[in-house]
Formats: sequence, structure tokens, C-alpha cells
Amino acid sequence: MMFEPKIIAYLCTWCSYTGADSAGIARLKYPSNLRAVRVPCSGRVSPELIMRTFDQGADGVLVLGCHIGECHYDTGNHRTAKRVPVLQALMTFAGLEPERLRLDWVSASEGERFARIVNEFTEGVRLLGPCAWRQRRVWEQHLDLQDALDGAALGEAGGAA
Amino acid sequence: MTISSEIQAAARDLLADGQVEVVIGYELGSRGRTRPAFITEARDIERLVWNQACTHNLTTYLNARLNPGGPGKPLPPGQAPRRAAVVVKACDSRAINVLLAENHFEREQLHVIGVVCEGILEGAGMAGDLRSARQLPDEGSGQLQARCQRCTERTPLVYDTLVGERLAQPAPSHPSAPDDLQRLEAMSPVERAEFWLAQFDRCIRCYACRQACPMCNCPSCLYERDDSLYVGMGIRLDEKRTFHLGRAFHLAGRCIGCDECERVCPMEIPISLLNRRLAVEVEANFGHRAGMAPVPPPFVSVLSSPHSGG
Repeated sequence: MMFEPKIIAYLCTWCSYTGADSAGIARLKYPSNLRAVRVPCSGRVSPELIMRTFDQGADGVLVLGCHIGECHYDTGNHRTAKRVPVLQALMTFAGLEPERLRLDWVSASEGERFARIVNEFTEGVRLLGPCAWRQRRVWEQHLDLQDALDGAALGEAGGAA
Repeated sequence: MTISSEIQAAARDLLADGQVEVVIGYELGSRGRTRPAFITEARDIERLVWNQACTHNLTTYLNARLNPGGPGKPLPPGQAPRRAAVVVKACDSRAINVLLAENHFEREQLHVIGVVCEGILEGAGMAGDLRSARQLPDEGSGQLQARCQRCTERTPLVYDTLVGERLAQPAPSHPSAPDDLQRLEAMSPVERAEFWLAQFDRCIRCYACRQACPMCNCPSCLYERDDSLYVGMGIRLDEKRTFHLGRAFHLAGRCIGCDECERVCPMEIPISLLNRRLAVEVEANFGHRAGMAPVPPPFVSVLSSPHSGG
């Protein structure tokens, strides 16, 4: 069976989320590996959030925002544009393949561009195979077990599916 | 006049006419190690020393000394701003520039005693028995710390009083310094991940790295909050990795490479590698070197022109 990567996309609500809607309205096909998370601005996507997403078992993280100069909050995406490449370098240095994290810009009307980016990204991550970022040490297993017993394994239930 | 007595003379002048409330410098501890000293009385000035074991970055203490009510809290009306003097090396003086750019205090609150530094010895700040337990060379061996072998400054960038002979040319970095950064860059992603997981696995989350860092001055640390939704404060490997990578990221464009975090780490995690890697990245992307001038780091400003990336 072909490996199906799990891809989390952080979509800015003003441009990219609407862009995803446009893709849907235009009946464009894009891979169902994408799980969209709607955020108020791509500037809200902090490095901790991206690292957490990989920790929780994502194979790829896509951050999409408004084009530079079109941000609803003027300069929110400027922050993202500066942050993500540096975070990518840092996570690459810590052992992540850089292709697993991608920042791009999609405006509200660019349904076709949205579908193309998601297609490209998904195929790229599929070639890389499962992400090794989420590794467990033996001594962590009892912590996992405890979490499962406590019913506190937040976000883990979806991971098993 | 030796460097120690020059520092003492400067401290005497500053304390005598009440220009500063405290002089932050170095003294010799009871077990022979050099340690930070806070001198407020004229009779204690004799304690101040300078030697090649003065490794601590004393700018770490400035924020608490100059903002007694807490960071960003204004003083009660009628109180004059606090003033302090601090002894700095070339690397530490860059930290002052970063702190000034971030408005932690005013330049007038500070009297900087800059010392021209010939490099700090490996194993400095530790007593002899600890040094041998960690198999570090003796102070007598004269081996400089790795950061000092890379140093190209020697003369402080910020100072009010300069102690020692100003070096006209920056000293060349040590040619034989082994470069772990390049060794790691050459590895495959899987090998690098394994290397770092093995390092982070040792972390006990004592936060010594954070405490020693002059830039780690948030009133409440993001990584030590139990009410966070997505940043864990536990000891799992991914939580520890997020702490170290996140802390390195928060220091991107701000870290001046004093490597105190790495020196104080009880588990000997090579934290400075992360900081150095990010310093390279920030310089490549934004042309910014932390602390060379009192300008804010690139992450708090907008892009200079669309799509420029700078």
C-alpha cells in the first residue's frame, strides 16, 4: 500500500482558507492528506506550534498566508516570512528534512494555486516517507501508558486512525 | 598597574561619589574559583580581581539590578533610576547592545568597565576538584575556551572606562579550532536527529542555561508554564527538544555567543551549536550580527521591501 502522509496545513483565514474554499467551489482535486487548521493570520503560527505539530505525528506542515503586502493585519505575514525560513534551518539542523515544512502565499481567489501547492507538497512528502521526528525512547513508554490510562492523550485518538 | 588594580580604581571612583549603587565584577571564592561579585561598599573594593578565569557574563544581572520592581515595571514616582557599573569582556559588551536595543534600561543607568580580554581559559569558573572530575585541563595549561579561540574582537564595543591596552587589530581566530558545526552539517538528517536526541535525552530541565543567559529575561518563561496548551514542561524527549530548539529560536539574532549556557549545563549538552547555527542563518538572511550596534533583532521588524527577504 502506498504511504499516505499526514499533512497539517495552517491556513490564514483571510486569504488561504478562502483560497481553499475557491479550490473547492471550482471542483479542483487536491489530496485528502491535508488537514486544514484555520488561523487568524499566518503570523500566529509560532515556532512552538510547528514543532508541536511534528511532535504529534505530522509528516509535513504547510503554512499558507496572504501575499506580502496583502495581509489583513498589514505586516503579520512579514513576521512569518522572516521566521519560517530560520525555523526551517533550525529544524533541519536538528534532523528534520527541510522539505517537510513549507511556507507559501495563496490569496483568496487563487484556488488553482492552492490545489497546485498542496499537490506538490503532498507528493514531495510522500517521497520522503514517514517522518522520523516523532521518536520515542524506551523510558518514555510508561509515560505514554499513563497518559492513555488517564484518558489524557490529547490528539492521540486521531493519530491512531 | 595591573588590570585588577585598574578595575579597583575605577570602582573606587564610581562608588565614592555615589555615581553607581553597585559594581558588578569578579572576585576569588573560597575554593579558589573566580566568581561574580556585587560590590556596594568601599571597603569591599579590594575583592575585585581580573584573571583569565573571569568567564561569567555579568550583564545577566543587569536587568534585575536596574529594574528592582521587575522587568518593565516603572519605579515609584520620585525615585531616581538605579545605576550600576559592570565589568565586561568584548563578548559581554555586545550583550549590552542587545539589551539596550530592547529597552531593558537606559544607557545612562550603566557605567561599563570594559576589559581588553586575551581569552578565557577552559574550565574557568569551576573549582579545581570539579575540573578534574570533568577531565578539563588545568588552568595552568593555558588552553582557551572554544569561543575564545573563535573570537575576533578582544576589545569591548561598549565601554565608559577601558582597562588594558586596546588591540588595534582584531586577533585572528584560532586556526586549529575544531569545528563541530561543519561536522554536524555534513551528516545526514537521520544522523543529526540521532545526535541531537541523544543530547536532549540527557537534559534534566534545570533551566541553568536560561538563568545564565543575559537574553533570557522574560518575566515568565514560556517553557516553564503549566497552563500552556501546546508547550510541554515535562521531561519527555519531544518536550525537551522543543525547549532547546525553541529557546535557540528565541535567541536567534540576539545571542552574542558568550556560550555561558553551554558552560553551566550540568549535563554537558552542546547548546552553543544551536545558537551558532542560527547566528549563521540570521546573518545570511538578514545581514544582522547580534549586539554589534544597539539595533533591534530582525524578527521584530517588517520586511524592508516586498519579497526582499531582508
